[in-house]
Amino acid sequence: MKYVWKKILSCIITLFIVSLLVFVAFAIIPGDPALSKLGTNATEASLAAMRQQMGLDKPIWERYLNWLWGAIRGDFGTSYSYSMSVASMILDKLPITLTLMIFSMCIMILIGVPLGVYASYKEGTAIDRVIQIINQINMAVPPFFSGILITLLFGVTLKFFTPGGFVSISKNPVGFFTYMFYPALAVALPKSAMILNLLYSSLNGEKKKDYVRTAYSRGNTSNAVFFGHMLKNASIPTITFLGMALADMIAGSIIIEQVFGIPGLGRILLTSIQNRDYPVVVAIIMLIAVIVIGVNFLVDVLYKLVDPRVGN
Amino acid sequence: MKLLHVEDLNIEFHDHLIPETVVFDFDLDMDEGEIVGLVGESGSGKSMSALAIAGLLSRHDMRKKGSIVFEGKEILNCPRGELRSLQGDEICMVFQEPLTSLNPVKKIGWQVEEALKIHTRLTAEERKKRAIKALEEVELENPERVYDSYPHELSGGMRQRVMIAAAMIGNPKLLIADEPTTALDVTVQSQIVELLKKINREKKTAILFISHDLSLVSQLCQRVLVMQHGYVVESGTAEQIFKSPKEEYTRRLIAAIPTCKELDEDIPVGECIAKVENVNVSFTKRNGRRTEPIHVLKNVSFTIHQSEIVGLVGESGCGKSTLAKTLIGLLHPDSGTVYLEDKNPQMIFQDPYGSLNPSKTVQFIMEEPLKNLTKMTKKERNALSLEMIEKVGLNEAYLSRFPSELSGGQRQRVCIAASLMLHPKLIIADEPVSALDVTIQAEVLKLMTDLHRELGLSFLFISHDLRVVHQMCDRILVMKEGQIVEEGNREQIYQNPKHPYTKELLMSAGLL
Repeated sequence: MKYVWKKILSCIITLFIVSLLVFVAFAIIPGDPALSKLGTNATEASLAAMRQQMGLDKPIWERYLNWLWGAIRGDFGTSYSYSMSVASMILDKLPITLTLMIFSMCIMILIGVPLGVYASYKEGTAIDRVIQIINQINMAVPPFFSGILITLLFGVTLKFFTPGGFVSISKNPVGFFTYMFYPALAVALPKSAMILNLLYSSLNGEKKKDYVRTAYSRGNTSNAVFFGHMLKNASIPTITFLGMALADMIAGSIIIEQVFGIPGLGRILLTSIQNRDYPVVVAIIMLIAVIVIGVNFLVDVLYKLVDPRVGN
Repeated sequence: MKLLHVEDLNIEFHDHLIPETVVFDFDLDMDEGEIVGLVGESGSGKSMSALAIAGLLSRHDMRKKGSIVFEGKEILNCPRGELRSLQGDEICMVFQEPLTSLNPVKKIGWQVEEALKIHTRLTAEERKKRAIKALEEVELENPERVYDSYPHELSGGMRQRVMIAAAMIGNPKLLIADEPTTALDVTVQSQIVELLKKINREKKTAILFISHDLSLVSQLCQRVLVMQHGYVVESGTAEQIFKSPKEEYTRRLIAAIPTCKELDEDIPVGECIAKVENVNVSFTKRNGRRTEPIHVLKNVSFTIHQSEIVGLVGESGCGKSTLAKTLIGLLHPDSGTVYLEDKNPQMIFQDPYGSLNPSKTVQFIMEEPLKNLTKMTKKERNALSLEMIEKVGLNEAYLSRFPSELSGGQRQRVCIAASLMLHPKLIIADEPVSALDVTIQAEVLKLMTDLHRELGLSFLFISHDLRVVHQMCDRILVMKEGQIVEEGNREQIYQNPKHPYTKELLMSAGLL
């Protein structure tokens, strides 16, 4: 329990540091948001008035503290381009991107873990080699390209879904989830190949360990040795990988949202960067940081549950 | 009926084009309650034979011929299902390295009861009771706590006791112990041997004891088989083997056991070349937010003179290696002074395999310190490496080899040759022979004494093996928990030890 509290504390500290870095970075980037909002024809007086209205005339530490106090209460300011609350803009799109991520995570685990275990179980057989070859190809294809292939195969040829025909969850929940399955598959495929490979090689590594021989010497069946002894040990590196894979998958979903025409966070992030709409960009980066740090916290706790040697 | 009858056991590997036989015509008979020793150097086929008897050789590229009959039943090449009903129940095993032989993510209790789970229909409660009793029987204190621990929370000796408890829980008829004491400290070694004796006496369990250590085998076994290159070269009662060995190889093995005979006539000792005074070294250990210092060396003082071999003995964790590191300047003492006349003292390590860079040639490894510390030309360096490689009994051809192309003994020779390159006065040898087979051990020790005599080198010789230390050293330091508890010359320490710890060490080694 003490371990968990310590981890939570370090997560919060990390978040503060991230917020400080992000805020300062966007405050010192060249470019005047007031100018880009009013256009190049604006007079000096109206620019100054706009800066005052946007709070840009105050010193940076005061702006940071104001922003931080707002952020803690869930208020991330107002978007420069749309003049609406950043929080409501993000909340609107968050379920879409979150669904995509959760789907991808599940698909990655559901494909990678059983196949990795199965391939290692059948090590050296023809089926193992077939799995390895397909896996190598799968690992080499980036998500945006597998996204295009999936659109071609399932969308255009097989007509399982209409490419570009995104429907919102409130209008048609079933249609929404079916549509989201395909981009999630595109994001998950290369990552599932990595999980497969990692689990496969760590299971094969476990086979040579002394405790496996001990387990056989007690009269265990091969199945009992494989599932009762080796699997838990072999899953330790895989758990570490999950945390890293997630950060990568967020980046992957931003691109894949463009391929499949999904109006998620990725789209707002891209337009906000183009428009220098910094409050939105900062908020999205903080959100991504919260998700990554949160998942890594869960991974650490899971790690501790699986491996008693951690934290001692 | 014999408990175990092995006849004409042959084991072949088929992973290369030409099959390689590792065990030839192995015969063994064991009665109930008998203790048989299986002795040989690494690669002699002793572990292979034992694993075959335990039914643990099931690689698909391996062929086994002959017959292994256990209680009247043929078990060689029998279906795995039939074998399983014996494993963990009638035939049990204890392995060399207790840490890696236990599953790191399962609790001790789970692992000790596992055999019961597989072979009996006992309830969880009954199993726990039996497990606690088994842990008690291997003389573990606080068995309930051990039951709920993980392997990494126990010491080496405790882990091996746990392994024995897990093996003995089903009251097997045959216990196969494959080098069960090799990874343990000398005092723990003798405790484990005593424990095996007790088990044999009280439970009438037959024990097949595999070891490279002839002195241990002579303490424990009634009958002994000696193996070399896959053959049983000699077998007989323990007394026959040790008192009147027939075969040349057996005689060589026995001769190579470090005895307390000196290898070296004493040569005059010169002036002081190293002086350590009141040295304290501590590390800080983090325990949550609190940090607490651990004192590894406490007020250590000693001197080493020219042409002197000083022995440093003690068990693992007593601070021997920390002292060595402090002496050559890898660690700085908190207080106290280290004076060294030699600017470039050299070190030789225990594991010659791990301490040589596998991607570099012998020549590169030997010349590396010269490149870093001297302005010698390439020609001079080459001449020197040639001189030194010949000095350690190898020849020019070895200079272009890689470490993987050398045997363990050759590797340690290369390490010694490399340490001579800077013409040091002092060499610190940290367990230089404990990873080597006993006949190789004798050769390397001989080399070290030759160099000592020829070059007038001084050694700080760190070892846990009191026989080797007696052979090599003029003066001996006994270390316990970071303190030098006794210091004296060879006769004082071995014939008239003062400190109780010295006495305990000598007793465990069978020297008192």
